[in-house]
Amino acid sequence: MLRLLALWLASIAALPAFAIHASEAGVVDWYKPLIGDALTGNPNLSPVFHRTTQDNGNTKSLVLTATSSNVLSGLHPDNGSIAWRYLFEDDDRVLAFKKHKNRVAAVSGVGGATVRILDVTTGHLLHERHLHKPEAGRLLEPDSTGVALAFDSTSNVYALANGHTVRKIDASTGEVLWGWAAPDQASLNVYSAVLPTPSAVYLIGLAKSFASYTLHITALSPADGSVLGSKDVSSSIEQGPASLFALSNPAVELGHARVLWLEANQIKSVRLTPELKEKPTTVKGTAYRKLVDLGLSDHGLLVAIKDDGSGHVVKLDDEGSGLKVIWEFADSADSAQNTASLYTGGLDKAGNPYVGRVFWSHFYKKASAHILAPHLAEGKGLVTGYTFPFETGVHGIIGNVAIDAANPEEFRVIGRVLATTTTGAIQLWQQDQLQWTREESLADIRVAEFVELPERKLVEAGLDDGHETFAERVRRQISEARDFPHYAVHFVKRFVTGSYDSVSSSVAPTSNDTALSRDTFGFRKILVVATGRGKVYGIDSANGEILWSRLFGLGWAAEVGGRIFPLKIYTTKTVMDAETPQVVIVTQRRANNGLVDTVLFHVDALTGEDSTGKSAAAEMLPGIDTIAGPLVEAYLVRDEATKFVLLFDEFLQAHIYPDTSETSASFEKLIPSLNFALRTGQVGSFRLTGHRLGLQKEFTGKYIAHPTWAASLPDSEDIQAVVTRPHEPVASLGKVLGNRTTLYKYLNPNVVAVVTSSLKAPTPSCGIYVMDVVKGSTLYHSVLPATGGACDIKAAFTENWLIYHYYDDDFGVDQAKSYRVVSVELYEGSGVDSKISSSDLSSFANSSTNVNVIEQTYVFPRGVSAMTTTTTKFGITSKDLIVAGENGIVQALPRRFFDPRRPKRKPTTEEQEEWLVQYDALIPDDPKRVLSHNYHVANVRSILTSPALLESTSLVFAYGLDLFSTRVTPSNTFDVLSENFNKMQLVLTISGLALAILITKPMVRNKRLRERWYN
Amino acid sequence: MKRSILFFLSLVCTVLAFDLQGRVQWNEHCSGAAELGQAKVVLDNGLRKGSITQDGTFTIPDVPPGIYILSVIAHDHVFEKLRVDVLETDTLPEVHPYVPGTPLSSSTAVSLPYPIQMSAVHRLNFYTEREGFNLVGMFKNPMMMMMLFGGGLVFAMPYIMKNLDPEALQTLEKRQATISSIQSSIHSGDLKSGISALMQMGDEDANAATGKPQTESKPSGSSLKQRSGRNKKR
Repeated sequence: MLRLLALWLASIAALPAFAIHASEAGVVDWYKPLIGDALTGNPNLSPVFHRTTQDNGNTKSLVLTATSSNVLSGLHPDNGSIAWRYLFEDDDRVLAFKKHKNRVAAVSGVGGATVRILDVTTGHLLHERHLHKPEAGRLLEPDSTGVALAFDSTSNVYALANGHTVRKIDASTGEVLWGWAAPDQASLNVYSAVLPTPSAVYLIGLAKSFASYTLHITALSPADGSVLGSKDVSSSIEQGPASLFALSNPAVELGHARVLWLEANQIKSVRLTPELKEKPTTVKGTAYRKLVDLGLSDHGLLVAIKDDGSGHVVKLDDEGSGLKVIWEFADSADSAQNTASLYTGGLDKAGNPYVGRVFWSHFYKKASAHILAPHLAEGKGLVTGYTFPFETGVHGIIGNVAIDAANPEEFRVIGRVLATTTTGAIQLWQQDQLQWTREESLADIRVAEFVELPERKLVEAGLDDGHETFAERVRRQISEARDFPHYAVHFVKRFVTGSYDSVSSSVAPTSNDTALSRDTFGFRKILVVATGRGKVYGIDSANGEILWSRLFGLGWAAEVGGRIFPLKIYTTKTVMDAETPQVVIVTQRRANNGLVDTVLFHVDALTGEDSTGKSAAAEMLPGIDTIAGPLVEAYLVRDEATKFVLLFDEFLQAHIYPDTSETSASFEKLIPSLNFALRTGQVGSFRLTGHRLGLQKEFTGKYIAHPTWAASLPDSEDIQAVVTRPHEPVASLGKVLGNRTTLYKYLNPNVVAVVTSSLKAPTPSCGIYVMDVVKGSTLYHSVLPATGGACDIKAAFTENWLIYHYYDDDFGVDQAKSYRVVSVELYEGSGVDSKISSSDLSSFANSSTNVNVIEQTYVFPRGVSAMTTTTTKFGITSKDLIVAGENGIVQALPRRFFDPRRPKRKPTTEEQEEWLVQYDALIPDDPKRVLSHNYHVANVRSILTSPALLESTSLVFAYGLDLFSTRVTPSNTFDVLSENFNKMQLVLTISGLALAILITKPMVRNKRLRERWYN
Repeated sequence: MKRSILFFLSLVCTVLAFDLQGRVQWNEHCSGAAELGQAKVVLDNGLRKGSITQDGTFTIPDVPPGIYILSVIAHDHVFEKLRVDVLETDTLPEVHPYVPGTPLSSSTAVSLPYPIQMSAVHRLNFYTEREGFNLVGMFKNPMMMMMLFGGGLVFAMPYIMKNLDPEALQTLEKRQATISSIQSSIHSGDLKSGISALMQMGDEDANAATGKPQTESKPSGSSLKQRSGRNKKR
């Protein structure tokens, strides 16, 4: 029977390849491009509005921002969609960007190694200039120190790199016109800003002196970069380069430019002239504590925060001390009612500057925005204020704002506020109306899980039914009988038209369908994802809509602040448990005072409600402080009846959650059979150590794990990752070969794959092991090259199949540099028909290490960033390998390609019977197997697969920067009628036959009659 | 000694690092940067790379001498892979075509010009066409054709029979009777008689060997007879 099934499946696998039809694109899958959460608090990287004038004279604005995912992006302010995005490499962090007319310049890499110039409307890369080698970059803290960009009025870019080198780059050709490097590079003199004016280019920096910094200015000729003057300005600046500001005013002839800094709570400034002869002046009278850059330095505007917290707008002035306070924001002083104000600057269509101030009022529970238009009211300045209903319970705190203003008539200013929140949301508010929200924290998903939905019946009837009286039952059935006509009509209609549920149709709910329920085939599930920004989302896997979201509460750390990093997610209750599905998220809370705690969050996967019942839906989700300290490891332990989370703290004490009498009884029963391998030791020299729990409780009332074995790896070898097998059913225990012998799969449940690196060894290498975690025996080991001094091995492990991917630049015999995949299959015993029942065998049995390893290497067409295998409900369907390629594709490759038993000659009949094809080193790269088709799924970090109700189908969710979800059928949809099935043909044939019978029947009858008469 | 040479070599390498330049030429498969999207050119596994700019040019900075595989990472387009040898002397790098999966040493002697010129080989098509309902295609199906032919024969047979020569008709009838007798005997397991009937098939003037077939002759045969009789009457 098994053999037949296997043969039948093999025949299925040989059917034409799975591929996407153009009509299914966007129906069975969805894709959400993201940019990552916008960087806040850095005027060179944070969101900013930019308006360009098109050829026809119309203006078009974009929101430009750099993000923590290392993306530079342009967003459409009208609807929040992505106009373009430019992805930087991981080793090439974007440090600053500057916009000018239709160009954006961005500098990235250590010390500002690379300058790129992009088109601001399309995001196309126009020029890329490498300024210095990444190794030559100076590491300064923070990393954007000593890096600056500036455009002059003729679209030339000045790029300051490494704190001492400046280059003038023609933005239209990308040519470096001249470069200048400080003669004394080793000195403590670091330039931090560049300010081009028509007469001179000023480099502004700090020289370290005792206890404070001294201002240092160099003036260069814009024409050829020759030094016009260089001067130390007598000053004593206590804070670093962040307290140094350069203002310029292009409106005035020849330009007025000043450098500002805070010295002893006084604003000091010096006028910049090519000769550098001016003396510093002081704004007298008021004490200030901080200067705030508005992004309006080329309009000569800045905000200075007074000692009491109120904000003064400071403007360049040609008279007197050169600076003038033109406005004081009312009620901006520190108070218990309002949070500290955020200041920002923006421009209108005509290029007039506006200063915005946004704060949160604890009293009104609303956010307020005040926009100052300094040029209005005959130059006296006009402030427009309004409040907007920002939802702090959903989106956290506003971390950064950018404004854009319009002045349609005199004394009327309309403002658009772009708010970036601490949860990673980007929101655009036009006056008090929310225009759009982008949930960018989804670009930083740490853990994700598919959760099954309940059936519609259950949803409608209520889940905890079961006890009803006869009268109730009759009433219910009468009320249900009302639906009978509808049902009958529906049935007839379905019978006639044949419109059944199709596997290639969307399972997204229609608008009138509000109840969250499973579809016919179980394609619709809930994705519970927890992000690094302290928020958990429930996403409809049918269309990617966010169904609910909750903020993680900080607990006691709310007073000092902190962040929550999700580590693991477990489904503790499923639909099968006759309750609403629930998930437990294991997180680590890092408070700002340095304390680390392990906190659990227990939520209802359908609604996001707190399953502990402690909080209302609108509040923050309260955490359950489980361990006062970091987490070592967490597992989900399954029993027949219960599921619970087992956590280990630093002292290897076991904590369980939920800690009920039922779970603790089950835990105590399971203790003798629990064995696990922990990564112990320090970062950089991790060891793998096997542990088991002591049978007695310690005096602390907890069980403690004791080491039982340690992997005997070389000292230099570090554990990089432990790859465990997914919890899934195995349909067949063996593989029937063409000659009717059987290879039995090695299915020891205690086996893990371990990826190691030994980069400090004399010859750096990487390794992969398959180990038994009960006794620490190594079942398989392979040494891989460490290319470029790093180990980048991706591995997937399922049933008895381990597959890993690496780059081999071996200059060995065949000198074939390429990406490789190695497919390893583990079988029992030493050959065919040898059986040790590894799935049931005790790990302590001698024969448990009796493994037959069959492996084969293939050349893979590209680098991958994540890989996994499909999972199906019963494990009968053959498995596909799903890989995320470096070029932004998600591809499904059948396991048949990777079969390590592919013969290296023409297959014999027996081998053909097994559907083995001749070995070909190169894995075919078929675009038809690309699941993500036209979508550019960038920087995938992980791929999650989950079974659907249909055995043939597996759900796939890939996340990284973007989100992508689809479903795959590795053996085609063998359990439903094929989409290619021609129902029309069947109907026509049958009706044709019926017609033929109808016509011929009277003819035959007549003939018979005649026969009787004339015979 | 060896180590010092290595050290010296590495010094030379860093001194001689080379900026590899090239250009992607737009063609009918890839018309420009807008169609190509963000794409990059990488050496080996991507440790050294350069972005493709709007005019198709790219620069990979500071490449130390060595043998590299140059490939283009683009989402929608396929480019040839090239083998690039950056030499330790001052001469320009050598560029050769490269077939993935083959040893580096076996690449051909064909030399490509430097700066590197490359263009898209083809644009990927990710979709397959679904087979729609096609009436002509449906009737091209052999089963369908057989059915149609059979159906046509049902109607055409009487007319064909009518127009046949009576003698030919009789031989045909006879043969049919024989065949049906063989069939029936095989059906009833009487192999011997079946074989003997088969033997007699060869003889031209053979009459039915056994009495059985006569009585069990097919109704179709009798109907034909009947019909021919009717014809005579008219």
